[in-house]
Amino acid sequence: MNGIHDMGGVHGYGPIIREADEPVFHHVWEGKALALARVGLAGGHFNLDEFRHAMERIAPVDYLAISYYERWLEGTLMMLDDKGVVTTEEFEARLQELSGERA
Amino acid sequence: MKITREAVLGLYKQTGTARVDADAAASFQVGDTIQARNINPTGHTRLPRYIRGKRGQIATDHGVFKFADSLAHGAGAQPQHLYSVRFTARELWGGEAPARDSLYIDLWDDYLEPA
Repeated sequence: MNGIHDMGGVHGYGPIIREADEPVFHHVWEGKALALARVGLAGGHFNLDEFRHAMERIAPVDYLAISYYERWLEGTLMMLDDKGVVTTEEFEARLQELSGERA
Repeated sequence: MKITREAVLGLYKQTGTARVDADAAASFQVGDTIQARNINPTGHTRLPRYIRGKRGQIATDHGVFKFADSLAHGAGAQPQHLYSVRFTARELWGGEAPARDSLYIDLWDDYLEPA
């Protein structure tokens, strides 16, 4: 796929900024996003190459705007929907439910 | 499927590899000059755009590996040789690139044709 992810040789993104003493995760949810992806892989719901291709299919504008683990989360959600494990409708319904609990 | 603690630990401890114990004929030998195919699949590929159509040399034959492009689309592992291929910086980026620089990239047999 000739997508936004294939960035080799592309100019204009500025220098790579290396963070000193970078933590493994910057937020607790990032670890959970990683775990969710790994559980989906371990459970045989999707394979690594399907997962990578899911991330490639994130809309280009979003792909550039979101963080590394946001891409993992988006990719996992796409896979879970594609494979019928958790549909987008079920996911949205649960989001509604949780926001209701919080209100 | 129930995912147990042991299964998760195993997943993290094992070194995941796509190497397979399968017979597949190698289309190329170390030292061969190849040209990367100019393919533009709409699905998953590990052949970056900047390599397509470029000429390089087989540096190492890693052996037989599962093919990511087919695995990403339910088309099976299609085991085939995976090579480390050397491209000069000048081949990839033109005459202004440093003469001594080169790039090594792992490419599957299906990506390559004789040059």
